[in-house]
Amino acid sequence: MIQRSAWVSALKAIPTNNLLSLTEKISEDWTLRPKSVPQSGLGMMKLKDSALNEAFYLGEFPLASAWLEVITPDGHKTEGAAQVLDDRVEVAEALALCDAVLSSQLPGWEQVYKMVEQGIDINKKTNRERKMMLARTRVDFTLLDNVGNDNAED
Amino acid sequence: MLKIDPIWQPDIQQANFRLLLDAMSYPGRCFNFHEVQNEGKASLSVLATLLDAEVTLSDPYNLLRADDWPMLQSKSVSADIADYILCDASQLPIFSPKLGTLADPEQSATLILMVDNLGQGEQTLKLFGPGIKDTESLTVDGINSAWLSKRNEWVCSFPLGVDMMLVDDQHVAALPRTTKLEEV
Repeated sequence: MIQRSAWVSALKAIPTNNLLSLTEKISEDWTLRPKSVPQSGLGMMKLKDSALNEAFYLGEFPLASAWLEVITPDGHKTEGAAQVLDDRVEVAEALALCDAVLSSQLPGWEQVYKMVEQGIDINKKTNRERKMMLARTRVDFTLLDNVGNDNAED
Repeated sequence: MLKIDPIWQPDIQQANFRLLLDAMSYPGRCFNFHEVQNEGKASLSVLATLLDAEVTLSDPYNLLRADDWPMLQSKSVSADIADYILCDASQLPIFSPKLGTLADPEQSATLILMVDNLGQGEQTLKLFGPGIKDTESLTVDGINSAWLSKRNEWVCSFPLGVDMMLVDDQHVAALPRTTKLEEV
């Protein structure tokens, strides 16, 4: 079983429409209740500078969160939550539902799990591509050093 | 997908906030809430409108359900340091709320008192002060007189004091610290 901490990032890689239609389908006859108000907004990324060690805000990032309770027709109760870099509440709700489905293995969990595996594959591919792009743009500064020394001698 | 009670929706909260502003502007006047939770009380609508993660709440009479806390997002603290205190008006006051300081009188508590009925009842309060032309009378049911005498103590050193909101199932009436009141 893939670790719970990897579920959200994997599912986030799946096209949103596919994710939303799956969650809508599997939760058709379930009761969903919010445990906290689902929210979306901007988070502030705080860092410390290396010279004075003082905190500053590097920038903002979109953040959506949801925490919900799922009650199935047979009375089974479970909870799920998600916090995701996205500005759509419905995405956070769908991910929270997936979290509940997978953690309690509710009906339809196999389909969600399959999506998690697909998402992990997509993320791996994306990471590989990014690494390749990074490698291509790498600059060898040792050559510049040589040029600089040559100039100095002139 | 997720059905959320209207009292947690921004448009309803904005409308209720406007209503609370009006209530504070016209002390003792009863206002009807736009939305209240089906099985809940208007007190939850007040809390849903005013509270967020930046302020603190005390529930010394255990009136809230455990499920309400994460929705409100506020931190639970003791009544003597809380920004908002939810009170059962039929019982005796069992705490001393913060009254603010001369430099920061706004750092005081707002008390939300749950009563049985507003706008009808056996007790009549005669109110006067800012926001009231001559006098206003407020009829109410289910408020222990100890709250009124304690309030007189808490608000006697203006600008220090507390602001109160009386709520029943559907209505709210405000008693800002500037309002003087007498029991008729």
